[in-house]
Amino acid sequence: MVDRLERLTNLVATLLDTRRPLPLEELVDLVPGYPSDKASYRRQFERDKDTLRGIGIPVETTPVDALGPEVGYRIRPDEYYLPQFDLTPEEQAALHVAVTAVRLEGGAGPEALWKLGGLEGEAATAVAALPTVPELPALFDAYRERAPVTFRYRGETRRLDPWGIVFRRGHWYVVGHDHDRADERAFRIDRVEGSVDRGDAGTVEAPADLDPSDLLRDDPWRFGDEEPVVAHVLVDAPQAPGVVHQVGEHAVVERRAGGAVVLGLPVTNVAAFRSFVVGLLDGAEVLSPPELRAAVVDWLDRLTEAG
Amino acid sequence: MSPRPLPGPRLRRVLALVPWIADHPGVALTDLAARFGVSERDLERDLELLPLCGLPPYTPDRMIDVELVDGHVWIRFAEYFARPLRLTAEEGLALLAGGRALLAVPGSDADGTLATALEKLAGALGTGDGLAVEVGDPPHLEALRRAAAAGERVEIDYYSFGRDALTSRRIDPYAVFHAYGHWYADAWCHVVDADRLFRIDRVQAVRPTGETFEPRTGDDAVGSTVYHPSPDDPRATLELTADAGWVVESYPCEEVEERPDGSWRAVLAISERAWLERLLLRLGPDARVLAPPELRTVGADAAARLLRRYRPDVEG
Repeated sequence: MVDRLERLTNLVATLLDTRRPLPLEELVDLVPGYPSDKASYRRQFERDKDTLRGIGIPVETTPVDALGPEVGYRIRPDEYYLPQFDLTPEEQAALHVAVTAVRLEGGAGPEALWKLGGLEGEAATAVAALPTVPELPALFDAYRERAPVTFRYRGETRRLDPWGIVFRRGHWYVVGHDHDRADERAFRIDRVEGSVDRGDAGTVEAPADLDPSDLLRDDPWRFGDEEPVVAHVLVDAPQAPGVVHQVGEHAVVERRAGGAVVLGLPVTNVAAFRSFVVGLLDGAEVLSPPELRAAVVDWLDRLTEAG
Repeated sequence: MSPRPLPGPRLRRVLALVPWIADHPGVALTDLAARFGVSERDLERDLELLPLCGLPPYTPDRMIDVELVDGHVWIRFAEYFARPLRLTAEEGLALLAGGRALLAVPGSDADGTLATALEKLAGALGTGDGLAVEVGDPPHLEALRRAAAAGERVEIDYYSFGRDALTSRRIDPYAVFHAYGHWYADAWCHVVDADRLFRIDRVQAVRPTGETFEPRTGDDAVGSTVYHPSPDDPRATLELTADAGWVVESYPCEEVEERPDGSWRAVLAISERAWLERLLLRLGPDARVLAPPELRTVGADAAARLLRRYRPDVEG
């Protein structure tokens, strides 16, 4: 009885070493530990192949020759081997600190460092936790491989050239060129529905010197296609500092005695703007323009009637 | 017998161990165990396995040669494992995101060894500068981090979002950390004589008190849920339209039922009335409180209160 880990290690070595794709019959003959019955060894190899791919080993399924339908398996060394990049022990220690100080939820964490020479130096006290969402690794991978992606978002299919990945205010976003809107767009990755389909690697060209953060318009009331209007909102003193921190100092058009502020906010999405304002409860008021003030009053009127 | 470990993680370790040992002949087992975060016993089991591995036809000259002498180890004849496996997307992301986040923490050295390590890593992963991690820099973060590090009691002015109230209180900040988009201080609050989490972007002033406190040790607040529903908090049963379904995903619901028409019935713990008011005001006609009776008019009452700002002449 051959240990499964032993069989897998031999399988990886054999697939890495071969110069040509090995058909399954030949492979199970070469690597000890497979049953002799065809249905059984096929099933066992499929499981092994899934395990290898599951840990990121690029097992390739490819025709044995140009003529026949027979397929074989191999691992291309240039796809398997980590590119050569030498970290100094100090740099390894800095990464050790980073992955222990900042935890990516469900992420690989310190084990990711095994391939870079293991854990150098000391672990750090945790200072930050970042969430993860299902399609984040797939979108990150598409971005770094410069592959276009297709996914469902708010019930629509979107085609995007991913230019970058941004974490802001607790959420992950993918930013890039949206083919359907013919414009730059940002998408919250946790709102991607289902899984991401990838196009051909190496076909996306992001603009030079792009800062992906710049593409992420922060305020939800600016995510919209409505005619832009500038709203003036009075925020009372208790909530003023937090709101100014959120929207940015540049939005402040007036500071009143006692700490209240008046903000000027460009609005292209009235519903999102209304949510923001009513979320401040009676600590804020839309001053102008009249139609936005009326939109909030109308919303509140409907709520009182419903009660 | 203990359950056998899954082959995936152990295979990952073996494939990383082999090239490292081959590059560092005679490395001590104790060093290896620390470097790979495993026990020496697990390490020895991995090393016992390797001489059984190699290439067809598995004659002695084709097997991996492992020599273990006096707690030191050598590996030869494993050229096909000369380099570790490339990083997966998850691993690359964990390293880069962790590093970028730490660099974004105010006060970190933007040109230090972490920055150069990340640059090399990004180059190897082919990512360039397209991964940005922002952790934010609220105005009083630095003061609270300093107070936590030095064990200094401070007085803060704090806006409580849940209760919609501004208060002053003395706190002992044990730890300052960033979780899921916001900075928090985990602190002993002398007003309520209990542990509280304070969102630092809602802190409006920090004043020294001249007093110190005993730092708490072995404490690790990061990742603790920010809001723990208490058994004493009232529960509200909400009816939500399909458009308001995000509520179910965004807040911890104690019961959730999706109806055939796409609408939802959800039970949530309500720690503060203002929190429910905000939710209902945002959702408008997409939400309705079904129970308990005393919470049914929370949304309408809040709307009437807000309207008084817009129509001061009308009796509310």
